[in-house]
This record gives sequence, structure tokens and C-alpha cells, in this order.
Amino acid sequence: MRAIMSSEWLKLRSVTSTYQAIGVAALTVVLGMVWTFYVSGLADERGSLRAAAPEQGFLPLVQISLAVLGVLAITAEQASGMIRTTLTAVPKRGTLLLAKAGVVAAVTFVAANSIIILTYVTSRLMAGDRHLQFNESSVANDLPMLLASGLSVTVLALVGLGLGVATRSTAAALVSVVSLLFVLPGIANYLPAPWNTRVAALMLPNLVPQIADQRLSRRLGDGFLPPWAALLVLATYAIVALAAGFYLFRRRDA
Amino acid sequence: MVRCDDRPPYLILYRVIELKRLTKRYGDTLAVDDLSFNVEPGHVTGFLGPNGAGKSTTMRLILGLDSPTSGEALVNGRRYTSLSRPMREVGALLDASAVHGGRSAYNHLLCLARTNDISATRVSEVLQQVGLAGVARKRVGGFSLGMKQRLGIAAALLGDPGTLMFDEPVNGLDPDGVRWIRDLMRSLAKQGRTVLLSSHLMSEMALTAERIIIVGRGKLITEATVAELTERYPSLEDAYLALTASSVEYGAAR
Repeated sequence: MRAIMSSEWLKLRSVTSTYQAIGVAALTVVLGMVWTFYVSGLADERGSLRAAAPEQGFLPLVQISLAVLGVLAITAEQASGMIRTTLTAVPKRGTLLLAKAGVVAAVTFVAANSIIILTYVTSRLMAGDRHLQFNESSVANDLPMLLASGLSVTVLALVGLGLGVATRSTAAALVSVVSLLFVLPGIANYLPAPWNTRVAALMLPNLVPQIADQRLSRRLGDGFLPPWAALLVLATYAIVALAAGFYLFRRRDA
Repeated sequence: MVRCDDRPPYLILYRVIELKRLTKRYGDTLAVDDLSFNVEPGHVTGFLGPNGAGKSTTMRLILGLDSPTSGEALVNGRRYTSLSRPMREVGALLDASAVHGGRSAYNHLLCLARTNDISATRVSEVLQQVGLAGVARKRVGGFSLGMKQRLGIAAALLGDPGTLMFDEPVNGLDPDGVRWIRDLMRSLAKQGRTVLLSSHLMSEMALTAERIIIVGRGKLITEATVAELTERYPSLEDAYLALTASSVEYGAAR
């Protein structure tokens, strides 16, 4: 297992797509600075305003770029046929998938948290003591939200990996990830009450504030799920996608 | 069951491919039909048959990439998928282009080596052996087919395995490369290894192989030595054409 993980780690490190995915995700830091610069200017004119925290506002960029990393970890092999070479070296498919999942999880967790924390720190430093609302709560208060955000990125990357294994197609896996992140939550909002809130509470992006025990949104109000349940639902997304991938991966001819 | 030269029987048993009533069905087509034969060490065994005869499928079944509909394929008495470090027992080249084009030759081999606890020194060694040491750090995407074949052969040799399988390894090679493959195959067999080689170049096969297995429509047609075949027919090519005349059928398998 250790040997296979070290191989998978090298696989990620030795292709440019990994650096491109992390690079795009890291644009969040720059966008966060631009945003803070903009709202700071407004605050200097008006005195105070309610601005969204950049690490929350730009979180979808981190989520989608690193989900791409998870998808490509398997679909790049399937598209090139490299998967057959890999399976000749590692015929135990469950072990291979587990090693891939472990490496994708570790890389995306470290990358996402670094990006989120860097965005957090630079924006707060730039904001100084202006009244922008997002910079007025304590680090201890913000920490659950930051950790939940980082965790959601890792879960999305694992969902991408699982769906990539299952669909064997980069496009199909990416469309599924985008649906989970943007399309389904949008649809859930338009369900008749009380189902809009009930379903929306289970949507992947809405789990982040619920894990941090914060309001879902102005319209949806407080979440339905206590933090532990939201965390469980988040993990379930990754587990279900990986289990589906594993089931098909083990049965299918390579 | 295996009678061959003067090495102790335990050594020989550990370098053998056994097919027992191997059958693979894809939908309505029988790609491999009740195929039984053994491939023994000490000489190159040529694996011949028209396009779609099931040669590549048979090799995929041996490597556990596809699972048989019935029957089994054993390597050294075990199923390939049960081997914990398979590259040390079996080396295979099925599809030279099944590599990630963005990775360097060195990293590609190192990724494979790590899964089987093979050292980086060995990676450099095989790169030297196949004549790719000079382009080891170049991206595989820029390689010619001949260079990719050499890379695939390097991967097969990585674990210094007792059993080797090559599917059309001379495709895309220049005359120099063809000669090199011929000498390599023969020297590997001379070292007491089991070598299974498929090719459509009859003249090349006549020079390289000692035993021949001919399949058609997934069935075994003939198992004989090259000497026996050239005794009965003017040449190996004539023997092949006469024996497979009734089984040329395209599109029987993937």
C-alpha cells in the first residue's frame, strides 16, 4: 500500500495538469486581494459596509479546480490506456483505488487549506481595521468555517475521482461534479416549501456553513442539520462516489 | 508436465504460463474459445493468428485485465491478480502507446517501479538497456512509435521477471530495432525465461521463435515447433497461411 501510494504521489507530481489545477485554485488568493482592495476603497468612502469574505466567495473556484485534479487522477489514465499498464503493475484494483483516493485526499486537503488560509490572512491584513464585516470576527470564530471549506474541497476531489472511475470519462465526471456544486443546489431552492430547505440542506455547498453551525443563506435561514450530521452527509458524498467507482472498476474489463 | 532442458523442475514450474480451457465472450462474440496451452521456458514461443483471432485478448486475460468467462490462465501456477509483486514475475508489453504523454520516460518507469518495490537504479539500468537513456527526461508524448515500443519493453524488463509477454513489439521499429528485439528475445529465452511473442511478421518469427502457437477465431489451431512446420510446408509463412486459411475473420474480438 505504501509503495503504491508513493507511486501515485509521483504520478500526480510528474504531470503538468496537477500544477495547472492547483495554480487555478490558487488564483483565489489574488482574486481575494482584488476583492478586498475593491471593498476597502468603498469602505474608505462610505465608512463601513457588509462585504462577503473572499475565501467564502471564491470557494467554488477552489472546489472545482481541485475536483478536476481528482477526476484527472483516473480519467487521464483511462483516456491514454495507461490504466492497463498500471493494472499490470498493481492488479489489485481495490488497493489501487484506495491508494489513489489517499493521495488525492492528502494533496487536495493540503492545497485547499493553504489557499484558503492564505486568502484569509492576506485579505484580513489588507482590510486592516476598516469595517468590512467579514474582517470583524475573531479567528477562533472563523476557524470552523475555514476547516469545513477545506474539507469540502477534498470531498469534491474524491467525488470527482469516484465518478471518474465510474464513468471513465473526464467530461462526464466533470459535468457531474459541476451539477453537484452548482446545478442541483439551484434547483433545490425552487422546490415547494418545506422541501426546498430540506433538500437544500443536503446539497454539497450548503453543508459547509452547516458544519460550521452558521446560517445557510438569507432565504434558507438556519440549516436543518447539526454540525455532526452535516459532516456525516459530506463524507457520505465521497464514500458513495468512491464505492460506485470501486464496484464498477472491479467488475469491468480494463 | 513441463519437460525441458536440464534445470531443476521447481525452477521450470515457476516460469510457465498455463491456459486451461480459457474462454472469453464479449456479447455475442467468442473472442477466446476454450483455449488450452502451456508456454514453457527456455525458448521464444511465437503466438500467431489473423487479426481478431484473440491473441491480444488472451494476453489481457493472462494479465487479469479482462476476466475470463470461464476457464483460467495461470502464471507460475497462480492467477496474475493474486500476485503481490507481479512485475517481478511477469513482464508484459501490450500496447506501447498506453502511456501518459505528459510524463517523462524516467518518471513513467519510476511510477511503475515504485509499485513493485523496484529501485530507481534499476529504472536507469533498463533505460540504458533499451537505448533510451539519452531521452529519459523527455516527455513520452514526443516519442516515436519505435521509441514507445522500447519504453514498453523497458517497463516489461523492470522487475527482471522470469516470464515475458510481448504483443507486436516490432511495430514501428527500424531495421536496427527489429534486429535488437530479435536478439533481446532470444537472449531472454536463453537465460531460461519464458517468452511469449506475438507478431505478424512471419520471416521475423521464423528467425526468433522456436515453438509456435497458432490461433484462429479464438481457438487453438496448431502447437508445433518451427522446425516441424517448416518441414511440412515450404516456409513458416506458408504454414501459417495454410493453417489459418479458414479462420480469417475480422472483427471477432476487440
